[in-house]
Amino acid sequence: MIDNFLAGSAALFGDPFTIGVFIFGVIGGMLFGAIPGVSMLTLAAILLPFTASLEPAQGVMLFAVIYCTGTYGGAITAILFNIPGAPENAPTAFDGYPMTQNGESGKAVGAAVLCSAIGGVASALIMMAATEPLANWAIRNIGPPEIFALVFFGLAVASSVGARTIWKGWMSVLIGLLIATIGQDPVGGINRYNFGLTDLAAGIAFVPAILGFFAVSEIFVQAEKKASGKYKAPKLSMTFPTWLELWMHKLAVLRSILVGFFCGILPGIGATLAAFMSYGEAVRWSKNREEFGKGKLEGVISAETANNAATGAAMIPLLALGLPGGALTAMMVAVFQMHDLQPGPLVFMLSPDLIWIVFAAMFYANLSILIIGLVETKTILNLLKIPFQFLAPLILMLATVGAYISRGLVLDVMVMFLAGIIGYLLRRSGFSIPGIVLGLILGKIGEQNFAQGMQMVHYDLGAYLSRPICAILIVLGTLTLLSSAYRAFATSQKSV
Amino acid sequence: MNRLLGTSIVSMFLVAGSAATAFECKRSEASFDKPGGFPERALTMIVPYGPAGGSGQVAAAMAEAVTELTGIPINRDHKPGGSGTVGMTAYMAAPADGYNVLEHIDDASSAHALDSSVPNPASDLIPLVTSQVTFSQIYIRTNETRYTDWPSFVEWVKAQDGKATIANVSKEGSMERVTMRFITDATGMSIQQISFDKGAPRYGALLGGQVDALFEQPGDVRNFLDAKQFKPILTIFDERPGAFADTPTHREMGMDFDPLLRFRGFYVHADAPADRVEWLQWAFQRGYCEDSYQAFNESKFMTVIDSYRDTDGSKELITRSINQYRDVYKAMGLDVK
Repeated sequence: MIDNFLAGSAALFGDPFTIGVFIFGVIGGMLFGAIPGVSMLTLAAILLPFTASLEPAQGVMLFAVIYCTGTYGGAITAILFNIPGAPENAPTAFDGYPMTQNGESGKAVGAAVLCSAIGGVASALIMMAATEPLANWAIRNIGPPEIFALVFFGLAVASSVGARTIWKGWMSVLIGLLIATIGQDPVGGINRYNFGLTDLAAGIAFVPAILGFFAVSEIFVQAEKKASGKYKAPKLSMTFPTWLELWMHKLAVLRSILVGFFCGILPGIGATLAAFMSYGEAVRWSKNREEFGKGKLEGVISAETANNAATGAAMIPLLALGLPGGALTAMMVAVFQMHDLQPGPLVFMLSPDLIWIVFAAMFYANLSILIIGLVETKTILNLLKIPFQFLAPLILMLATVGAYISRGLVLDVMVMFLAGIIGYLLRRSGFSIPGIVLGLILGKIGEQNFAQGMQMVHYDLGAYLSRPICAILIVLGTLTLLSSAYRAFATSQKSV
Repeated sequence: MNRLLGTSIVSMFLVAGSAATAFECKRSEASFDKPGGFPERALTMIVPYGPAGGSGQVAAAMAEAVTELTGIPINRDHKPGGSGTVGMTAYMAAPADGYNVLEHIDDASSAHALDSSVPNPASDLIPLVTSQVTFSQIYIRTNETRYTDWPSFVEWVKAQDGKATIANVSKEGSMERVTMRFITDATGMSIQQISFDKGAPRYGALLGGQVDALFEQPGDVRNFLDAKQFKPILTIFDERPGAFADTPTHREMGMDFDPLLRFRGFYVHADAPADRVEWLQWAFQRGYCEDSYQAFNESKFMTVIDSYRDTDGSKELITRSINQYRDVYKAMGLDVK
């Protein structure tokens, strides 16, 4: 493995043009990842035709690098302005933005940079060591019932995040789950709650919903404070997390790498589920659950470690089996095909050089996040000096463009503003925006896999429990639910 | 059967390769005067699916070919969702000035068959070219031991008493579900269809043994065929394509129904100016002939059968499909509007 890695590194850095492609991918991914709506997918779609004129290894490597750095890029705007660059950065905003409000923006951004790099490098190393056996294990043991059980397990702790009471936390999750049912059902294609609007048949897209619930509702909250004279500009902080603080979160980092890697390895799942699941696990294992959603460093660490850990993992089913884990890895299949190559077992036999250049590039791209991130962070933090009256319209404009551009539908802009208004009202009443978003995103994934799983087990719900992984996750999720209900009752009794 | 995945893979490439070499463009004019200067700016192509799937890829390949030919850029506007209805609605609302074209698949025909208020691609739109036509097959894992060919598969499925599973995209009224209805009616077997809307989980389900078989088109699983991981046991087409000479057709296996084909093509509004439509017909039909597009189609197994239909050929294909779907929907008891 080490020899192959060194050979891949030599090929990557032995040619000036290849180095240029690598640097372009690193910077392009970060930039496009940071702008809401204009994601790394946009950059990949623009670049796709041009990869035909590159060497196969350069083309595939470029996309792999964009994937790594693009996943990190959205964390910065999530932390500083409550605008996640992509759905996989949404959990970063849960605690990252409150940290900015608390004058700890430097600490949050520093942790995001470091943990993205750690998660990405760790998954790149695991990817290099065990691509084929891991891919084969995943497809044999994890099917729709297991993915549903995983989502159920993740949702079971969602009530604890950011709400005034556990009951309101649950209500928030249920609102998210309800929103997730809008559009065609995932199996029969039957329209639900679309009120005759064709555009709603596609459901509520994640990007406008997230922009509305986070960015727009936040603008309303801050505008209200400004109008009532209670507004305080977030304090600019250049303090990075200390080594001691990071060391204290070593278990969270390790857990997030495992969760992110596990979610990333599942075909068709990817970084979004990884970030949400990892955040949920951070809450589950914490002794101070009520601190999540209010500016807890561990929330940022968990989300950012996991979403980057998923990038290396997502390459495993792609390279070993030809199964892309998401839209960007699906575009990578097209890059392979443009050069008369097919990802899958044959590519390891026919093009080992290409594989190791890609592996090496992903490793170094994740290291680049650390280097570039630390260099740029202090400059980026100065954006917080922009006065609210200038920043708010800028954020609204960016969010509006971001909501529209992802699908080119005016409906998405309307959804964003509606989500912003609803989010603002719910926040005033003590409901949890992270809970709603968790319900929305995990609900869509969970419903699809539940329906597929039910078909698979011939509508015998008990059969779910005959699958070991599925049974363990469902039992653990149920126990979490029961303990949550017990705590809620106990709290109610005390207050009475 | 092993021959297909051994020596036949080689012959498959040879057949595809020779088909490409022997390809003759059916559109003879190599150039075409622009009517009144049209187009004087970029065209917009609405694609009702995401950029990474089959439709996104064919749209990109055709856009590139037309641009190579004419020098006119084409901006692709992806509007995924609602099984193609979101994109179709957006397209019908776009100006009918010839600058807006649409990519769509046979889902548009089946949607119209189910509900006549949905646009009919053969009359509410003008097909510029159909550039991909393909058939479906049933696949199993190559290392499968419980069954090895179609007869043993049917026998095994019947013995499972409805517990056997097949992965496909079985949305209500879809080509896959209708074809499976034909197959189960003809064989008397009962099989649970598992609907996966994305390719990766669908193929992973078969590879990992989560399902027993897969319903798919050969171009989409080419890498698994090349890697000898999947093998076809049934071709749903009237005759054996040369590349799958060892795989029996549904008719040979005693199933007497007309196969439904998967097709992808390009359209313009029916009320777009006639001279502009004529130029677009030339550009897209000639674009099909470009080397880059032919190479793309070859890589997707789309040269195994004739993928090309001009405007009239496309209308015939669409109309026949609509009638076929409508008959089946009525027989299935669906509410045909």
